[in-house]
Amino acid sequence: MVKVSTQTDYPAVGETLHEATLDNGLRLLLVPRPAYHQTYAMFAVNYGGIDVRYQPAGKQEMVDDPEGIAHFLEHKLFEKEDHDAFALFGQTGASANAFTSTTSTAYLFSTSTQLAQNLTTLLDFVQDPYFSTQTVAKEKGIIGQEIQMYQDDPSWLLYYGIVGNLYPNHPVARDVTGTVASIGKITPELLYQAYRTFYQPSNMTLTMVGNFDPAAILAQVAANQAAKTFAPATPIVRGVGFDGDLAEILPYRAADLPVIRPKSAVGLKGQRDLEEGPAGTTVKLAIEVLLEMVFGDSSPLYQQWYDDGLVDDSFAADYTASRTFNYATFSGDADDPSALSDAVAAVIARGADQPSLTQARFDRIKQAALGKYYMSLNSLEQTAGQLSAQSFTPVNAFALVDLLKGLTLADVQAAAAEFFDADALSVFHVRPEAKA
Amino acid sequence: MRIQLTTGVYLNVLSTAQFKTTRIAVHFIAPAHAETFAARTLLTSVLETSSARYPTQAALSAALEALFGASFGIGVAKDGSTHRVTATLNLVADQLAQAPLLEQGFALLREVLLNPLLPEGDFSQSVFTREQKNLEDYLASLDEDRQLQANLATQRLYFEGNADQATPSFGTVDQLAQVTLGTLKATYQAMIARDQIEIVVLGNVTDEQVEPLAQQLGFAQRPAVPLALSYRPPAAALREQTAFAHVNQAKLNLAYLAPSTLYGREHFANIVMNELFGGSPLSLLFTNVREKASLAYYANSNFDPFRQYLVVQTGIDGASRARVQTLIEAQLAKVAGGAFSDALLAQIKEGLLNARQAAYDSPRFLARQEFLHALAAAHQPGYAAFAAAITAVTKQEVMNAAQALKLQAVYFLNEQEAR
Repeated sequence: MVKVSTQTDYPAVGETLHEATLDNGLRLLLVPRPAYHQTYAMFAVNYGGIDVRYQPAGKQEMVDDPEGIAHFLEHKLFEKEDHDAFALFGQTGASANAFTSTTSTAYLFSTSTQLAQNLTTLLDFVQDPYFSTQTVAKEKGIIGQEIQMYQDDPSWLLYYGIVGNLYPNHPVARDVTGTVASIGKITPELLYQAYRTFYQPSNMTLTMVGNFDPAAILAQVAANQAAKTFAPATPIVRGVGFDGDLAEILPYRAADLPVIRPKSAVGLKGQRDLEEGPAGTTVKLAIEVLLEMVFGDSSPLYQQWYDDGLVDDSFAADYTASRTFNYATFSGDADDPSALSDAVAAVIARGADQPSLTQARFDRIKQAALGKYYMSLNSLEQTAGQLSAQSFTPVNAFALVDLLKGLTLADVQAAAAEFFDADALSVFHVRPEAKA
Repeated sequence: MRIQLTTGVYLNVLSTAQFKTTRIAVHFIAPAHAETFAARTLLTSVLETSSARYPTQAALSAALEALFGASFGIGVAKDGSTHRVTATLNLVADQLAQAPLLEQGFALLREVLLNPLLPEGDFSQSVFTREQKNLEDYLASLDEDRQLQANLATQRLYFEGNADQATPSFGTVDQLAQVTLGTLKATYQAMIARDQIEIVVLGNVTDEQVEPLAQQLGFAQRPAVPLALSYRPPAAALREQTAFAHVNQAKLNLAYLAPSTLYGREHFANIVMNELFGGSPLSLLFTNVREKASLAYYANSNFDPFRQYLVVQTGIDGASRARVQTLIEAQLAKVAGGAFSDALLAQIKEGLLNARQAAYDSPRFLARQEFLHALAAAHQPGYAAFAAAITAVTKQEVMNAAQALKLQAVYFLNEQEAR
């Protein structure tokens, strides 16, 4: 029933990771934490908001699904013909949740009692879909409210404004919730089709961190899976490919909204599809360190901008890299949003020629990055979240530490030379509406 | 363990090897007076960005990076009738970093809190001007978060006539404009010399290790400050207010007086009642207003035991306001009338206990328990006392708690177009 089972110690972080793959392809990542009171469990699918174009299981033709379908499916999976899975967790006092990101969907619970029962609930409700015309119609009301709430959030509009500039033709530019119009097209048939294609055990992982015995958990999950019948695994053919195209970038857009302060965002599009193994992951880490070195709180540049009133402490430089896209955003509130975006663009245009890329600064920021990583492991939720997010790639979250330790200033300089490209930029501003 | 360093200055050490971090918090606690809130808040920004040793934000950030990416911040908060300024430093545990970060962390705190940049006896004018403007911009932008906007407005309405309670812990734009270099310095001196100080340290450390480091901060003795965590507002006639804004989703909030003695039996009955009414996903508000009727994206209730304040918050379609309010009141009537099953009540309690146990996995929560125990002797930090008190709450006590709620304020933020 269990194909492979390994146990690896990571002394640098003081953790032990138990991994197993079951006959049906389901992977388990288990990290015991005996000093803790609770356990976090995440059941994740390699299927998210961007996966709106794919070959349905057993078919040869690509289909285009309405945007928001993965998130809609996540909401609907809790509701069964005669009960709500949410309530089953609640009955034991466990708390349950779920989220959909651009590339994955995860169902999770945390509990300090009745772990076995809650684990069975998790496995069973995710693996037993029930979609009806009536319940799908009702869900449109609830998600419609969620979408409307985001429309009132200027930061949300700024974010999707700039990502929309970078990716006019890639679904990463749309929120995973979809739009009221797009979710209006969702039917039970479309949900079942997506479910059959992506919710195969071999496209899923179960990550648990907390107070449990890994052998007992493995035995329980193996028995649970052996008692179920699954369709034979089919290869997953995705229709949304990498987008690193500069020609299609919209260079500038702005929106007038009921905000008090103007907001500015610069987007920088990654042109290389970074593979998910150690080499590509090292480039991603190098870009994160690069942004901290050039734009972080301790940089001379940030201090200058802060003193000049160009930025306040809402300013942030963030890097996002995932399957089929990678980009950075530089955003914040600003009295003069054009001055801020011009200043960011001027820095990017220097490429690798950045005065702040010194060895001393690199050493300190790398040490800080390591410390922040250790600190994040205090939280079971964050530990499980990082392991789960990395579980669809060849590099597990604990191995990231070794990649970070091996990072050099030369890696960061190379990342700057490649990534800081003035032709890959776009700007989005949010301006206060003129008073009526 | 709680150690008196000198009169009015205390050290609380919680030794645990559960975490990979050491957490140090220095709390400055004073009676809540609204006219001090803005100055105390501005002070947090000025101290964070300019000490004699770290005269710029970049210099402090670099020092924190050198401490293995320690996180540091100074914030303000209110508990009942007290206002506090809290500096928090999170460090990687010495054992993991293989460096004396605890000692270095205390040294950094001493520089930032006790050795500010005072070029000519006052805070720097340029830092003052910049931070005052940043804080003003921040306060002005709070209304961009519509849920927060509605909550603050609900509080103002509910506590009308008592500025100390009606004003948020960070003060108002108007109060901020009144702050001068002189008043800021006076506020700083008063805080350092007169506030009650509680230092809380949590991590793989001992009393013997921490006490000399805390002593080195050098706080002088001070007269005992009369502090009251509890505040009970006088009952008043119902106040209603409707405001308009360009929003896609309207907000309807209902605020109740929830009479109870802090950490007494009614306190725990209120906790269970709130959880059943609107505090959890199993609650009547969540199940019946959000899920069954699909009338709200969020519908929940929250109980502040320090101020005996229970607030229901909803995000709704403005046109259905009357229906939503009727439905909220019907859920409360169900709790008050006992129209809920024993099984649901048992689940609600189970959820509270489970969540409480889980909270003991959080350094922030554990440190907060030490802090509350320091200020309110009746508060028991451990799980067992909480579990016993929650378990003992009867159905009748939950009904009594709901019956005792008194609606005091209704705030409605509606779509501009609906005007």
